[in-house]
Amino acid sequence: MALPDPSTVTMGLPRRDARDKLLGRTRYTVDRALPRMLHAAILRAEVASARILRIDTTQARRMPGVRAIASAEDAPGMHGIGIADHPLFASGVIRFHGEQIAAVAADTYEQAQAAARAIEVELEPLPPVLTMAEALTPGAPLIHPDWKCYEVLFEGGARGGNVAWEASVVRGDTDAAFAREDIVVVESCFRVGRQNHVSLEPRAVIASYEDGRYHIETSTQVPWTVRNQTSKLLGVPPSRVHVTVPPVGGGFGQKFDCTLEPYAAILARKSGQPVRLVYSRQEEMLTCLCRENAEIKIRSAVTRDGEIAGREAVAMTAHTLGGNYKVGSIKLASRAVYTNTAPNGAFRACNGVYNTFALERHTDEVCQAIGMDPLEFRRLNVLRNGDLGATGQVFEGDVLGPMLDRMAQMRDASPSKKHLAGGRLYGRATVVGTWFIFVGPSTATINLNADGSATLITAGVELGQGTMVQALPQIVAYELGIHPDNVIVRPADTDAAGFDLGVGGGRTTVSLGAASRAAAADVRDQILKAAGALLQTVPDKLVLRSGRVEIEGKEGSGMTIAQVVQHLHRTTGPVVGSGSFTNPGVPSIPGCAAGHFIDAIDIPVFNVHDCEVAVDPDTGHVDILSYKVVQDVGRALNPRAILGQIQGGVTQGIGYALHEEHTIGEDGCIRQNSLETYRVPLAQDTLPVEIELYEGAPSIGPLGVKGAGEVPIMNPPAAIACAVANATGCRVQQTPLTPPRVLGLMLGREPELELPHISANWWENVFRRPN
Amino acid sequence: MRAPDDENLFIAGTVPDALAALASHGVGAMPFAGGTWIMRAPIRREPQAAFYVSLDRIPELSAVDIAIDRIRIGACVTHSRLAAQLAEVEPCHGLVTAAGSAANPAIRGMATVGGNLSTWDFPAADLPPALLCLDAEVELATTDGRQRLPFERFLATRRELRPGTLLTGVTIPRRPVRTAHARLPLRKAGDYPVAIVSLAILLDRNGAVEDASVAVGSVESTARRWPELERKLVGHPLDPETARVLAEAELGAFTGRDGVEAPGWYRLQVLPALMRRAVDAALRSQS
Amino acid sequence: MATTLTVNGERRVSARGPMTALIDVLRDEFFLTGAKSVCREGACGACTVHVDGQPVVSCLAPIGTLEGREIRTVESLAEASEPSALQQIMEEHDVVQCGMCFPGILMVLTGFLRECPHAGRDEIKAALVGNICRCTGYERLVDAAAALARRN
Repeated sequence: MALPDPSTVTMGLPRRDARDKLLGRTRYTVDRALPRMLHAAILRAEVASARILRIDTTQARRMPGVRAIASAEDAPGMHGIGIADHPLFASGVIRFHGEQIAAVAADTYEQAQAAARAIEVELEPLPPVLTMAEALTPGAPLIHPDWKCYEVLFEGGARGGNVAWEASVVRGDTDAAFAREDIVVVESCFRVGRQNHVSLEPRAVIASYEDGRYHIETSTQVPWTVRNQTSKLLGVPPSRVHVTVPPVGGGFGQKFDCTLEPYAAILARKSGQPVRLVYSRQEEMLTCLCRENAEIKIRSAVTRDGEIAGREAVAMTAHTLGGNYKVGSIKLASRAVYTNTAPNGAFRACNGVYNTFALERHTDEVCQAIGMDPLEFRRLNVLRNGDLGATGQVFEGDVLGPMLDRMAQMRDASPSKKHLAGGRLYGRATVVGTWFIFVGPSTATINLNADGSATLITAGVELGQGTMVQALPQIVAYELGIHPDNVIVRPADTDAAGFDLGVGGGRTTVSLGAASRAAAADVRDQILKAAGALLQTVPDKLVLRSGRVEIEGKEGSGMTIAQVVQHLHRTTGPVVGSGSFTNPGVPSIPGCAAGHFIDAIDIPVFNVHDCEVAVDPDTGHVDILSYKVVQDVGRALNPRAILGQIQGGVTQGIGYALHEEHTIGEDGCIRQNSLETYRVPLAQDTLPVEIELYEGAPSIGPLGVKGAGEVPIMNPPAAIACAVANATGCRVQQTPLTPPRVLGLMLGREPELELPHISANWWENVFRRPN
Repeated sequence: MRAPDDENLFIAGTVPDALAALASHGVGAMPFAGGTWIMRAPIRREPQAAFYVSLDRIPELSAVDIAIDRIRIGACVTHSRLAAQLAEVEPCHGLVTAAGSAANPAIRGMATVGGNLSTWDFPAADLPPALLCLDAEVELATTDGRQRLPFERFLATRRELRPGTLLTGVTIPRRPVRTAHARLPLRKAGDYPVAIVSLAILLDRNGAVEDASVAVGSVESTARRWPELERKLVGHPLDPETARVLAEAELGAFTGRDGVEAPGWYRLQVLPALMRRAVDAALRSQS
Repeated sequence: MATTLTVNGERRVSARGPMTALIDVLRDEFFLTGAKSVCREGACGACTVHVDGQPVVSCLAPIGTLEGREIRTVESLAEASEPSALQQIMEEHDVVQCGMCFPGILMVLTGFLRECPHAGRDEIKAALVGNICRCTGYERLVDAAAALARRN
């Protein structure tokens, strides 16, 4: 066994789960079964808006194999992120096509489906509100007439009518900036559709009810959220819910919420048998919790020299619009709007991807208006050491500037692929991106075993990103001077591990890494202390290396870590260490930001992406000729793993940029109901991404790390959209850039996007009032 | 072979076997030939037939017979076998492109010629436009006997075929034509084409077009020929750019269908470019 | 009512009806959960198995048509727990992320490389048009397969 180099934690540690995944032996949630297990199916609404007159399950209960049926009366609670506005089952009204009406558990899935179809539902259809523009029209029907009575779970957001939530930022005097005589005002509008995660493993759960407690085995990124939300919806104490997580077959944010677990839990209690609920691909397409559709208007006051004096932006669902650049004054509004469509949710770099698209395209429009080279403009304006971010946080370190230089070197070093464009239109763009890792609470426990191995216990989940099989064992092993293969990582179990916010936002390696490192340090101190006594040396003079405690500078002088642990077993007892972490946060200027779920920037992460495209003037097909990435990773613990995340994230971003979109039909149903019409990138649609990892930027992460899996998806839509605009000379305002959309742009068939429901007067768009 | 009575699938060994099974189960019975759409019906919440008669073990239906003057393709030949067996056979360049690039490799390995042609609600199918250009004939069998139908007639009437009718094969006359099949998926591959131009061109000794067959698929609900353009092509040298210009002038012949993946105008708009690509490919192919 | 199948060299009997998709019998009756049921319409390739040596999406294959045919699943690729050359090279190249797509991709590539042992990257990509991987962005697994082809 190769022993770790004690001088560095960096290594290409192979994935310990790769072998069984390749052998087909890994058991994901969908592969599990229990004796007497029932199968569940959900009855869903097939209209977007209706009043429920009657639900009769009498017939369905008599169907063969049926063991339990659940509906609204079984789960009176509501859940949500900022406000508890989601019922588990439709009650009184139907609010979207696909909404859950009832759940059935039966001996087979087919029986459960048949019984669900046999439930009689009498509805009085209501006219649906399908777009944000409609929902914001004065006098529009209220999707949630009782919005005022809902429980507020997070204080600070403004609300009203069909505006579910409003967050805002006001810093400095944009009125004065826009009134200056030396500025040019540039206004841009953007719209993006919904992106489906298409995790290959659908949402899936097996729930059982034993000894008065629910055991939920589920495919999730957030075991603690599932525990707490399920308890809330079922009206039982959280301690009655136990969540464990098998290997997860892809998440990308879709599993960052509690969704189907409570249905299985209720049915398990009612039937007294374990219940399996797995969403079909069609259910996954129609009720996915997509990356949200968004509409964005940005106005900037920019001097001819390229100084951004003021910026005002309104995004219907958004936040990262304030990133990338130093801006003299700023007003941002983000509004989440209720409509009669399926709810959206979290998706890898949520809100960051389309806001970066909007911001970078707007930046290019600004450059065009003032006649400045886009790269020069970016070099001039990217956030540097000591600059103020949108909400007044101070940025530390010069990162984006040197990253732009690094990209310039990459561009110089590899010849342009322009010749591959042939007779097609050629375009290129370099864009920047800023993501903010929110860290939040994590905890870890380490049992140091008498054989010298360590067992790491956390509520972290392995979705494929590698944190649990690479980064965490590497960090713990580094602290303890053992090989990462001797770090056992326990799968998430809320009965064994303490609270964790979940896997998302790029936080896992940072937060769980910091907690694990602290736990390892705790264990390490105990070992050094005991070994110091045994070796009659002060602990400061001891080092842990290759599974041994050694007196520094004297190889072979000490003893094995296992011997120390065995000694402690006899004297003070087994060796256990723990560590916890939460975000110290960099606060915003008081009174500046309101209603943001994450109001402190913990770790900024930067991206520079460059791409070359060829656009077919006959068909509108966009072909990506080259793609380059410089990514700020803080410190790369496992470069090979990070390169894999970047190739995968860029590909997902290419899909979102060029093809992936859910649109809503007139009936309120999502039109792309299968992988035939929802087109994800296939092998021929990708290309090898050229990547450089930028190390050394400041980070509060353990050993200087930053999350690396979230951010690669941030910039492809921006890079591709800017390159397509450059190739075609057309104003790109929407993604995805499907062949019909691009050809429509070139032919002048695509109308200019104007977003009249977003007022040019920023204050007219918000509930917030000037201080 | 299986006893059909208590089950919903009968594995037929001969065509008469299959016809008898279809007849005895009446309107609820359907042939199963590849089954790529039948088997996906549950996830799409579409109905399945009460009874299926599987044709894949009937030797006659799985044969490709290549004679000097004609080619006969059994109804249960899959897309991938069709592409492999006719790869170097003239005048099948266009048909091979159609069969070899439809859907994805897995589907091509299962989906059959007969199944594809019998699926009347599949506007983006690749085989119909390719076969339309080749003056193909379709063989139909019933318990009363067999008949041949020109491909165009078959497309027009396939929805109204008598229950119990079996498509047994397709026959293609071997003419000295150059053929090509230009299809436009939205990704590089893997999705159904939003528009297709197939053609078969007979050139005279001087390189001028003596006879032209052009068919368009996926633009309307069913593939059909483009006679307005065919007439314009005759008598002139074959040239991709000229063909594109001529196609542009005759777009009025079609009404593009709106679909989830592409609007109707787009399907029309790309036809001239597809015509150019098809002519280019035809000129490169052997005659 | 029973259907007899030959799976990984063993005779197995399914109690399900003949129109049942092979994937359901493999997973639910025989507990061979390597093949994944993901899209159920032949678009993703995650359920690919071999029937008489040819890759077949098992979601679209009714068991009634498979009697007498030789069915092989991903579980049979390794011999005596020794991974196949393809599995080994995928492991060496650190290709796997969530892993859900790999059983299908391995079955497709195993069949494809048997027919085209010297395939290049472009041909490998074309062979994978029916397989969706949502994590890796494909390139590394294409590299791995191409490296194996170069070895052949």
